[in-house]
Amino acid sequence: MSNTATASTEEKLAKTLSVGMGQAMLGDRNTRLSAILGSCVAVVLWHPRLNLGAMAHVVLPDSHGKSEMPAKFADTAVPYLVRTLESKGCNRSGLMAKLAGGACMFKGGGPLQIGDDNIAACRTHLQRLGIPIAAEDLGGTGGRKVTMDFTNGSLTVEIAGRVSRVI
Amino acid sequence: MTTSTNNNRTATLEPIFAAATHEASTAMCRWTNGEIYLTLDEVLEVPLDHVTQVLQLGDDLLTMVALDLLSDPGTVILLIFDEINGRQLASALLRQPSDPGTEWSELEKSALTETGNILGCAYMNALTKLVGRPLVPSPPYFIQDYGASVVQQALMAQALESDSVLVCRTGFHRKDEQLNWHVLLLPSVHLRQLLENVTAHASANNG
Repeated sequence: MSNTATASTEEKLAKTLSVGMGQAMLGDRNTRLSAILGSCVAVVLWHPRLNLGAMAHVVLPDSHGKSEMPAKFADTAVPYLVRTLESKGCNRSGLMAKLAGGACMFKGGGPLQIGDDNIAACRTHLQRLGIPIAAEDLGGTGGRKVTMDFTNGSLTVEIAGRVSRVI
Repeated sequence: MTTSTNNNRTATLEPIFAAATHEASTAMCRWTNGEIYLTLDEVLEVPLDHVTQVLQLGDDLLTMVALDLLSDPGTVILLIFDEINGRQLASALLRQPSDPGTEWSELEKSALTETGNILGCAYMNALTKLVGRPLVPSPPYFIQDYGASVVQQALMAQALESDSVLVCRTGFHRKDEQLNWHVLLLPSVHLRQLLENVTAHASANNG
């Protein structure tokens, strides 16, 4: 996972990093994390007291035992985020999750529709590890741009042609 | 960091995609009275986590027409415009002034959708001749959304099989001017295998 938690003097102003497909990154007071989502799901874990968290850009529900890109799959991404945040001093019991994405971009069919499966898998694996879902913005037919601010735990969700919302 | 590769495997596929692009270009010339033609920009193998950066798909809202294959929905053709260029093409095809800032009319959407249909059919006709089995495109979908969101969905079938994806990118030109339009052909692993078999067979016959 890219470590963004160290902040030099020049980095004191908050910056925004983009989390690509199958990537995971750490975020903190100085580092917001952003992703553009279609059928993928952004899983954000956040520790409110430490203002530390991480985002995984989950592409598919099930790794079938592959582990080269743990953030690519829901079943490996959720434990990977938890382990990484625990190694940074976050207690699992203090973590909460936010989810966004899982759209069906091609109305009425088209290429492989995986959004609903991604949503179900992310919820299942969060529940399995006892991480509560604090908020979610899921499904539909439009792409999303999401930005997580770890100073206050707000996840801003923008959908084309709509007013953005904060969850 | 290297984010994409033009390796031997992609190099062997270039003549096939060039042939398909030539056929699509001929169809596009006919559709636009000789004004616009296509060139093959590149065939790339890109790591999944860098694909939107390599394709320079930021958070801009784009206008797209998408087609998949009826027999192989993992293969997707995407015709991509920014707002201005999409409007200009619709305006030129309909021979009426465009009205930026307003919602797209059904007629404008139809003009772009038909363009996608013509290009997609031309591409697939060319590939059908090469692989010797019918590749029939679906009806086109008109989409206005984040380019990265749509490309993500279009890459799902490739992502199931691999951590890197194959992308064939085609550019558009009007006389000497490069237009800000692209066609992305995102072949499924199955189609890629068929195309690689064609090139291997051709090499064996030549060698």
